[in-house]
Amino acid sequence: MEDWRDLAQVLLNGVMAGSVLMLPAIGFNCIFAVLRYPNFAVAGFCTAGAFAGWVANVQFGVPVAAALPIAFLVAAAVGLLAEEVALKPLRPAGPLTVAIASVAITILLENIIRFSFGNDLRGYDLAILRDWRFDGIRVNPQQLQNTGYAIIAAGSLFTLLAFTRLGRAMRAVADNPVLADIKGVDPNRIARVAVFIGAGLAGVGGMLIGIDTSIDPLTGFRVVLSVFAAAVVGGLGSIPGAALGAMVVGVGEELAGVVLEPAYRTVTAFLAILLVLTFRPQGLLGGRN
Amino acid sequence: MTTFSLNRRAALLGTAGALSSFAIGGKLAAQGAPITFGVLPPLTGAGGPYGPAMLRAVQGVVEEANAAGGIRGRQIRVVAEDDQTNPDAAVRGARKLIDVDRASCIIGTWASASTTAVAPLCWENRVSLFTVSGADSITLLPHQGYIFRTQPNSRLQISTACDYLMSKGARRVFHLAAQSPFAASSQEVMVEKFRAGGGAVSGYIVYERDKTAFRSEVDQIMRSRSDTVMLNGYLPDVTILLRELFRAGFEGRRFTFAYAANATTFQSLPNEVTNGLITFQPSPDLDSGAFNRLKNRFGNVEVDPYSAQTNDHATLAILAAAQAGEATGTAIRDNVRKISQGDGEKVDNVTDGLRLIAAGRAVNYEGASGPVSFDERGDIQGTKFRYEVAENGRFRLLELV
Amino acid sequence: MDAYLVAMLVFAGFYALMALGLNVIWGLTGMVNLGLVGFFGVGAYASALLTSKLAWPMPLGWAAGATIAALAGGIMALIVARLRGDYLAIVTLGFAEVIRLVASNEVWLTNGTDGISGIPGPWRGAVTPQQFNLIFLGIVWTAVAIAFYLLSRASHSPFGRVLRAIREDEDVAAVAGKPVLWFKVRAFVTGAAVLGMAGALYAHYNAFIAPEGFAPLLTIYIVLALTAGGVGSMRGAIIGAIFLITLIEGTRFLAAAVPGVTPVQKAALREGAIALTLILLLRFRPQGLIPERTRTKA
Repeated sequence: MEDWRDLAQVLLNGVMAGSVLMLPAIGFNCIFAVLRYPNFAVAGFCTAGAFAGWVANVQFGVPVAAALPIAFLVAAAVGLLAEEVALKPLRPAGPLTVAIASVAITILLENIIRFSFGNDLRGYDLAILRDWRFDGIRVNPQQLQNTGYAIIAAGSLFTLLAFTRLGRAMRAVADNPVLADIKGVDPNRIARVAVFIGAGLAGVGGMLIGIDTSIDPLTGFRVVLSVFAAAVVGGLGSIPGAALGAMVVGVGEELAGVVLEPAYRTVTAFLAILLVLTFRPQGLLGGRN
Repeated sequence: MTTFSLNRRAALLGTAGALSSFAIGGKLAAQGAPITFGVLPPLTGAGGPYGPAMLRAVQGVVEEANAAGGIRGRQIRVVAEDDQTNPDAAVRGARKLIDVDRASCIIGTWASASTTAVAPLCWENRVSLFTVSGADSITLLPHQGYIFRTQPNSRLQISTACDYLMSKGARRVFHLAAQSPFAASSQEVMVEKFRAGGGAVSGYIVYERDKTAFRSEVDQIMRSRSDTVMLNGYLPDVTILLRELFRAGFEGRRFTFAYAANATTFQSLPNEVTNGLITFQPSPDLDSGAFNRLKNRFGNVEVDPYSAQTNDHATLAILAAAQAGEATGTAIRDNVRKISQGDGEKVDNVTDGLRLIAAGRAVNYEGASGPVSFDERGDIQGTKFRYEVAENGRFRLLELV
Repeated sequence: MDAYLVAMLVFAGFYALMALGLNVIWGLTGMVNLGLVGFFGVGAYASALLTSKLAWPMPLGWAAGATIAALAGGIMALIVARLRGDYLAIVTLGFAEVIRLVASNEVWLTNGTDGISGIPGPWRGAVTPQQFNLIFLGIVWTAVAIAFYLLSRASHSPFGRVLRAIREDEDVAAVAGKPVLWFKVRAFVTGAAVLGMAGALYAHYNAFIAPEGFAPLLTIYIVLALTAGGVGSMRGAIIGAIFLITLIEGTRFLAAAVPGVTPVQKAALREGAIALTLILLLRFRPQGLIPERTRTKA
């Protein structure tokens, strides 16, 4: 890197990449915070959201911005269905059993989508905009917009958690389920809300990935390791942590492309996990553990 | 094999398994018994975007051949198994095709790893293997002639591509390659060619195929001031790269393999992004009917090179079996060169080929993927390359070299 | 048909070895390992390279495959043994991906995505393909029998009881004066050795290995096998492996019989059915076909 601009460009690219990982990571941590199990099915929820958005956008002509809430709702519904029908009955068997079942759900969702849509790549009905340039640094308006969508979605969740009764109840259950139960918060209802929001955010994230690339049944699967890395680096169960972790992983992967070798990007995510777990096992913003 | 143990073990696999043990042997059984062709394309996993069309092409040829009376009166049955783009699954699939279905040939393995994994099974069991895989190491295996690879040698492909690019004035070419068995050898050829031609390879990156963001890679291309970028990848990643190059305002030539940007690329990218993209692929002569027939069969959409190749695989296997008068893997192996090259009458479809062979005439099949002549190692030779440019959602032929 | 069944029994043997290895780590000790295909890959590469590049005799290569995988397991255990199960799941998953990437990119060592072909097999070429199949059937199931015998003994020894105690409650085991970390490392090493042995044998049966063969799907399959058989039960691991091969091969024939769907849809049905089976098993038969007898908690 000869120039500060090169570094700035890599950092910027990393933030753009990270903002795409952010929502699935937040969704993952949102579910973890309340239900205390890693839901590997976020990959499937991402793909489900991406395809729901595609159907709305391409087959029904809904503009992309308006298709995002549809991606949210469909992925949220899929997530809730999977939770209630398949995962909830397994909770007594322990979090790892649920986690393993969630891996199976990801494969199941991938194949339901493959059955319905086939393997072909699909793109949204969207003009592709040229980059803006500032003093040699390029920024893409579309990616900026995607980052905006991600921030709006994440911001809505923060607002919900911070300022509403429901949000307070969710935080209470995340902090101490037993105490929350005593105070009259219905943990089952909160669990449903958490899964609904978590899966929905993953769905929006999946659609944002799709806007930036194209979609096929493997869309969610391609990013899933980076998403887990973001969640762990930020601190499992921490929602601001997931946002920060996504940025760290995003920047790390882009930096690796320049400093190491692009063929080793995924290794960066793994190294980030190991470093954090070695020096700060609760994650960057994780509280108790 | 004893019938008793066969039945008892077959029961383990359930009724469906037992049913399929009625599959007929590859050797000439009763007159009129069907001949089985195995197809082993990727229907799930990373090869998923390619496999379905490859299989469709085979089925099309077989339907046509069956309508024309089959191979000396025997109908052809296609059995397909998904290789899951995974050599482990490919081996199990090939086992089933060979041992249960008694397939006399296996068509359409895509991933080099899958092809190399099933290759020993094929030559040990005397089954012909037709593949589209790109790794040059495949035909170097001790395969006793059972492998036919219609994907031209990657060194040859890159070398002709370099000649073409230099003839169009390319001097600084950036090589962006997905991690694959031919990334490194492509790079060697490119460096050699451009150095000799007074140009240079201005940059070389090998990237991870499964990633979704390649912005920093594109930054390096932009900084390199290249007049051309060679996108040596596959559909999903090249689609992302084309978008990124457009966004970044890359003004140079964008050049890629036709399998990495085909008709589906137009579905996922707007025309303004794809316009000007140059693709190349092995090709038959301009007036060859095989290419156009396949295009029509696919509903007048652009034919991707892999489907063109499996179209030819099926045709070659059928004509070779017809020529031999029997449909064993060895008979196919021994007769492919008799119907694919030489002084025989040129045919571009299976119906004409079967008719001529039945009349005792010599034929030379010219396929959809090229003149399909094989050297002694099983590699395709003497093929031409067609260069096409994307224009408003179609490919327009630039030239045939 | 005969050859096919024999070949599938050989595959069942590999899967049984893998399920046995996983059972030590996950079943007995309660440490989830979603990176088991990584250890399998390490064993495969080690043996393939030593026998084909350095011309080591095959049994020595197999032993080396198991040893090197065990070493990798030991290092892994030291890093992750302190972690809670959920972190462990993610870290091990990442580990397997790293192994696959290294195998793809370090061409000087592993021949990259080309893979290693021509790996020698016992008497391969000198006997008929079917005889080779039968020879390997003997080898792999002998390995399964030995692993089963040793692991069953270990499982009922004081060592196995400590592992179970750790699984049920790590803190209690620690309070009882057991060096928990040391036991976890030993469990991981043992399990990884069996996984590595499975990989080593696999490489010599297939004659070819490539990074793509060590994809996460295989991990899921083995988790499915162990769940089906009975987590914690060594007999269950073997029954589960046979169940697995029957499932993944049986769905092939069942999917072929489904009318009116395209080949891609058949492939999707098949993979989907396998995933669904795992979910249903966890729900309705969590203890597996052969429940662990000494298991104290469901």
